[in-house]
Amino acid sequence: MDADCEHLVRQLHAFLDGECDEGWEVALRAHLADCPPCLRRADFERRLRMIVATRCRQAAPQVLHERLVRMLPSWPQG
Amino acid sequence: MAGHAGDSDGRTRRRPADSVRRHLTDSERRETFEREVLPFVDQLYSAALRYTRNPADAEDLVQESVAKAYAAFHQYRPGTNLRAWLYRILTNTYINAYRKEQRRPTEVAADAAEDFSLYDRIASHREAAAETVFLERLTDDEVREALSDLPEQFRIAVYLADVEGFSYAEIADIMGTPIGTVMSRLHRGRSALQKALYSYAVERGLLARS
Ligand SMILES: [Zn+2]
Repeated sequence: MDADCEHLVRQLHAFLDGECDEGWEVALRAHLADCPPCLRRADFERRLRMIVATRCRQAAPQVLHERLVRMLPSWPQG
Repeated sequence: MAGHAGDSDGRTRRRPADSVRRHLTDSERRETFEREVLPFVDQLYSAALRYTRNPADAEDLVQESVAKAYAAFHQYRPGTNLRAWLYRILTNTYINAYRKEQRRPTEVAADAAEDFSLYDRIASHREAAAETVFLERLTDDEVREALSDLPEQFRIAVYLADVEGFSYAEIADIMGTPIGTVMSRLHRGRSALQKALYSYAVERGLLARS
């Protein structure tokens, strides 16, 4: 693994979080366009996050929605 | 509002922006709350389920949090980040009220997983692109359990980042911690999450033990 790949591995999560500073952001983007193994790694992490996000979303039971609307007028408001 | 706009003596400027809410009648405020806050109930419930790990507690947590948000609605400044404000209330309510009973011995175990990478485990044992196929074979319950089983501070940080897409700064604000702490919780939390998914996959025979 060369130095650029090591940087990418180290920064990948911050990069995917959109939290790299601008210089890194540009450099990592360029590296990904140019390095299939790193792109494959990045795609894997992206996919994993998407799976976590979609499967962990669950709608509230309808009774909870109804109860909240019903209770609202009885709550103290600021 | 328009009548005050020309005042330049500072009297109106001292008035906080949130005071707009105070001019609403009770029923107007209730309508605004219903319209702006109640659409977030599904999202809040989802987070509450992951925080508390069970549906009954999740319902209680959401109800208590929405009631608090209603009581504090005058403090919310229109045009600022309503979603983050609601998550801060939800998260604080959970941390203060629910976690006491939920401390579990496994909460210490995440240190061991500090640098686990699922990709590195799989990629070396599989053919090209097979690793993403493997991800699709994880069940909803496996993914949810892996997240729910993380130690509390990691679970909250990972949920807020990976499910809700909040920024580090927003998560720091919601959890009341410095950004550096958020980053370390995310790093360790994600490692532990990947380690848990890996062991489910090995148990179920989706992956060979390496
Ligand atoms: Zn590379």
